[in-house]
Amino acid sequence: MSEILSTISTLVIEGNFADMVDKTNAALDEGLGAEEILNNGLMPGMDHVGVEFKAGNMFVPEVLRSAKAMQESMNIIRPLLAEAEAETSGKVLLGTVKGDLHDIGKNLVGMMCEGAGFEVVDLGKDVEPETFVEAVKEHKPNILGMSALLTTTMRAMERTVKALEEAGVRDTVKIMIGGAPVTQDFADQIGVDGYAANAASASEMAKQFAG
Amino acid sequence: MRTNYRENSGVQFRMLSEDQLEELFNGVLHVLEYVGLEVKHERAREVLKEAGAWVDGDRVRLPSYMVKDALAKAPRAFTVYARDGNPKHDIHIGPGRAHFGPGPTCVNFIDVETMERRPYQLSDVPYVAKVVDSLPNIDFCESLGSVDNVPYDLSALYEFAEMFRYTTKPIVAWSFDYYDSNAIHRIAVEEAGGQEAFEKRPTYIHYCEPLSPLISTTDSLNKLVFAAEKRIPLIFTPCPLAGGTAPVTPAGIIIQAAAESWMGLTIAQNIQPGLPFIMGGVLSVMDMSSMILAYGAPELSLMMAGITELAHYAGLPLWQTGGCTDSKTFDEQAITEGSLSVFFSALTGGDLCHDVGYTESAMTGSVFQLTAMDEAIGYARRITRGIEVNDDTLAVDVINRVGPNGHYLKDEHTRRYYKSEFWLPNLCDRTSFEDWKMMGEKSFKDRTVARVQKILAEYEQVPLKPETETLIEKVLEEAEEWVKQQED
Repeated sequence: MSEILSTISTLVIEGNFADMVDKTNAALDEGLGAEEILNNGLMPGMDHVGVEFKAGNMFVPEVLRSAKAMQESMNIIRPLLAEAEAETSGKVLLGTVKGDLHDIGKNLVGMMCEGAGFEVVDLGKDVEPETFVEAVKEHKPNILGMSALLTTTMRAMERTVKALEEAGVRDTVKIMIGGAPVTQDFADQIGVDGYAANAASASEMAKQFAG
Repeated sequence: MRTNYRENSGVQFRMLSEDQLEELFNGVLHVLEYVGLEVKHERAREVLKEAGAWVDGDRVRLPSYMVKDALAKAPRAFTVYARDGNPKHDIHIGPGRAHFGPGPTCVNFIDVETMERRPYQLSDVPYVAKVVDSLPNIDFCESLGSVDNVPYDLSALYEFAEMFRYTTKPIVAWSFDYYDSNAIHRIAVEEAGGQEAFEKRPTYIHYCEPLSPLISTTDSLNKLVFAAEKRIPLIFTPCPLAGGTAPVTPAGIIIQAAAESWMGLTIAQNIQPGLPFIMGGVLSVMDMSSMILAYGAPELSLMMAGITELAHYAGLPLWQTGGCTDSKTFDEQAITEGSLSVFFSALTGGDLCHDVGYTESAMTGSVFQLTAMDEAIGYARRITRGIEVNDDTLAVDVINRVGPNGHYLKDEHTRRYYKSEFWLPNLCDRTSFEDWKMMGEKSFKDRTVARVQKILAEYEQVPLKPETETLIEKVLEEAEEWVKQQED
């Protein structure tokens, strides 16, 4: 394997986002393809991070730095991947539902998904069902992720699912939900495809859904 | 008669020095004056502006004199009363008085019969209320869950009505918004005999939560304004996560949480000067692997001790936290984390310590954890009560009377004191091995389960007034109608 790819893996593992732009450009200058950088540089680094996180040797702040390093590189290679029609992980649309201003969990999911190679469109917090519907139509994501922290706001998830059904786009996406009060039972009850208990399992689930 | 003699009543615990507390206090004032908060409530912004705040869109900054003025208006000591007039169930909030009770809104509950974890049901509320009513070291009631099987918007209302029926101890009532806050208040006012009677002897405390970092949300302020107008004692408690929604350092999270709570204080005292106000919040670490707010972390106790000392420095009572655990089951971790945190909370004299009985990081409520913690609180209270020193307790004359080679068992001094000086365990076992074996080799867990069953079997209800029962039926009927209208 080329030395520069191994360097890129290391930058991901170390969360060294400052050097990532230079090294990604250097790899391209060396004639490496975007797909090769993704599959043999970035992904092995992120896979290592995933294993170390699960083993309890790395923690969320470090994982987020790694995800940011990955993102720096993805910003450069994504257009090239699109040009080459290379297979990427897919697109994730995220939002905290209407009435809820808590977004730290949702932001973590976004960063973890970016770390897993997804393109992430984040609608922010307090997102109306109609806004979700419009965004699904516009961005055509593979996966829609909704978050709520409050027992008072989790019902907005159900309303959003209904709005998607009414707009006829429910079946174009896999829907996953999360947030402290959300449970598998609730996910089953409102007819979504998955419930993830934390950001790491959300990005795992996104991979399964997209794969 | 003694001169310049100083007595310590109870164990002395102090973490921060006067200088450190002054630093924290000024840090809070600085955040409120120079950073400000987002106040997502028009009326609240108007009230604050009128009183001298700088308002820029949603962002509100408070000159420090406004905060000091609000602190000066809020009482340090007040009483929340038992609904039936039983003075033993009154809570006297004031220096050196730590009280304990469960927490609200867990999604799951440990079934009292099967001990399985399942969604919290309306029929669970009476169990919790009865256990709270019966345990000697549990002083106020919350329900350990949010009811799953009633219309969503009414779960806090149904819960309150059930708690009110089955305990006479003061209740801490959460709610969604204005509608259910008002419905809950109508019930309490009916039992008290009118609004004026309620104001003289409030029987419940109104609970609301701002959002970290630094947002006073619309619903939390709808509830705060309601409580202030009706003069209901108020808890305004954020729930920041160190390293997530607040600074990672204990000093930093304490400052931010205090700023969030004192924004509420300032609004409330400008609407209703002298409103009993209990400062929050729940402070702990965001676990950097599981990303949960850790309810069994040592940092929770440490941060809560720090914010308790800051509250007392500023002249406010504090909403303490303890008796909770991250454990998924009723095991050694649950008892260790719960016991250490109630002991630490008791040492701080934090005024109302809640979340006793939380398991699984606040996801699951358990009356078994609650009952086990009653034992731990009793134990802790015996220690914090300390050692009384006077001529009689020094017992020099008794030692003289009994002398070498005697014994104290038959002495009237022993008879007079042993019941008050010795803590009598309810669950901890001190029998001989043979007796323990004969009694069926019961574990602490077995004895806890047996105690819960005994409490539920022997519980005697102190009924509400008939007119209150009638009103509850009416309020619930109206609320069901209201929900239907909301859906249409």
